[in-house]
Amino acid sequence: MVASLVSLMSIVAFAGPASAAGESVGSCVAEKFEQSLEGYGDGDHISHEDLHEVAKDKKVQEKLEGCLDAPSPILPELTEIIWGGSAFLILLVIMVKKGFPAVKGAMDARSERIRADLDAAEQAKTDAQAVQSDYEAQLADAKTESARIIEEARVTADQLRADLSTQAESSIAEMREKAAADVEAQKAQAIADLRAEVAGIALGAAERVVQSNLDAEAQTRLIDAYIDEVTGSNG
Amino acid sequence: MNILALEFPPISHLFQWPDILFDGTWYALNKTSLIYLTAVVITSAIFLSAGRKKTSLVPVGVQHVAEAGVNFIEESVVMETIGPEGKKYMPFLTTMFFFILFSNIFEVIPGIQFPANSRMAIPITLALVVWLIYNFVGIRSQGLFGYFKNSLFPPGVPKALYLIVTPIELVSTFVVRPFSLAIRLWANMVAGHLLLVTFAILTAALWDATYVGAVAPFAMLVLMTGFEILVSVLQAFIFTILTAVYIGGSLHPAH
Repeated sequence: MVASLVSLMSIVAFAGPASAAGESVGSCVAEKFEQSLEGYGDGDHISHEDLHEVAKDKKVQEKLEGCLDAPSPILPELTEIIWGGSAFLILLVIMVKKGFPAVKGAMDARSERIRADLDAAEQAKTDAQAVQSDYEAQLADAKTESARIIEEARVTADQLRADLSTQAESSIAEMREKAAADVEAQKAQAIADLRAEVAGIALGAAERVVQSNLDAEAQTRLIDAYIDEVTGSNG
Repeated sequence: MNILALEFPPISHLFQWPDILFDGTWYALNKTSLIYLTAVVITSAIFLSAGRKKTSLVPVGVQHVAEAGVNFIEESVVMETIGPEGKKYMPFLTTMFFFILFSNIFEVIPGIQFPANSRMAIPITLALVVWLIYNFVGIRSQGLFGYFKNSLFPPGVPKALYLIVTPIELVSTFVVRPFSLAIRLWANMVAGHLLLVTFAILTAALWDATYVGAVAPFAMLVLMTGFEILVSVLQAFIFTILTAVYIGGSLHPAH
């Protein structure tokens, strides 16, 4: 294709204008003047007189002026119509059958490809958005769940703390009561022990002091009265 | 010998090219015809090469050129003038755009420097093809009677105005359109070619006379070359969009 183009271009370039191909005004004048000289002279030589006669001939002059005439530029030339029309027809057939469908097909294929790519990208974007929404929903759930767990733990801890506090207070109270009861018991025991000891001592002392005839019952009554007196004075 | 368009032909022969092959026959080949063939080869090369390549996400090179062209025809021509139902005309319109563009652009290609559409052959041929197509489309979509009725008696026009409108529409739609289409393209390319030749001749002549004097015409030549690139593209676009407008008009009489 390129070779044929180059060769055709070369021919076009070398197809010179009218003056270049033996059809210049000068060559036309020379040719027609030569034709006008036919019949003059002896065939090889033409006299000056003959030349002057031919040059002054009105018909010859008109003939020579005809070399300056050119066909009307607006009238189309049949050969050019034939070649140009055929060229266009050939090009039209090539374009309709091969050239245009190939290029248009390629363009349509590209458009289709771009459209499909855009659709795929749109689909991918939609999918990604759906996944993102899922993740965001899951994240929101996780946050809610964690908040719930934290709140639950906080409530449980509070409850536990309250329970422990109550339990501790109750233990303390119990221990305090127990301690008080122990103190009271030990106090009563101590009093009883002291009373018994004091009674023994007092009895012994009294026996030794009075050596009287008090019987044991009267002694005991006296002793208890004494002890009560002593206890009441000690508080 | 004058090769590579480096010498100036006589002004009367600026658009006249000698036959290169088959001289004197009905199929004689000259430079104009070779440019048409080159436009075929370039357009085919671009599209066939672009179509063969594995589709890349970001088109580059010829693939980019072909796809940009197709996209341009679709968005800026077909959808703007015909609508979605005009997509079936896209191969024809794309072919037409590239064919005209490459036939025009040789105006500024060094060594060739000739817009093939400054010859009337292709502008008038394509314009007549367009004329056939939009009339055929109109008759097929609206019926013979409906098409002529809607074309000659446009809906929404006060009845009294038909006295003026109908003859104008008759001449404009069925007679003038193909010629205006062809002449617009042809005349633009002729004018562009003449402008470039004029400034080139001026530059050469003033360079021989006074070197400094050639600066201004040379600057204009550079400027006009850039301008002619724009004109080449623009004329291809205008021819194509007008074709689409005519086809659209045949499909939608109310518009």
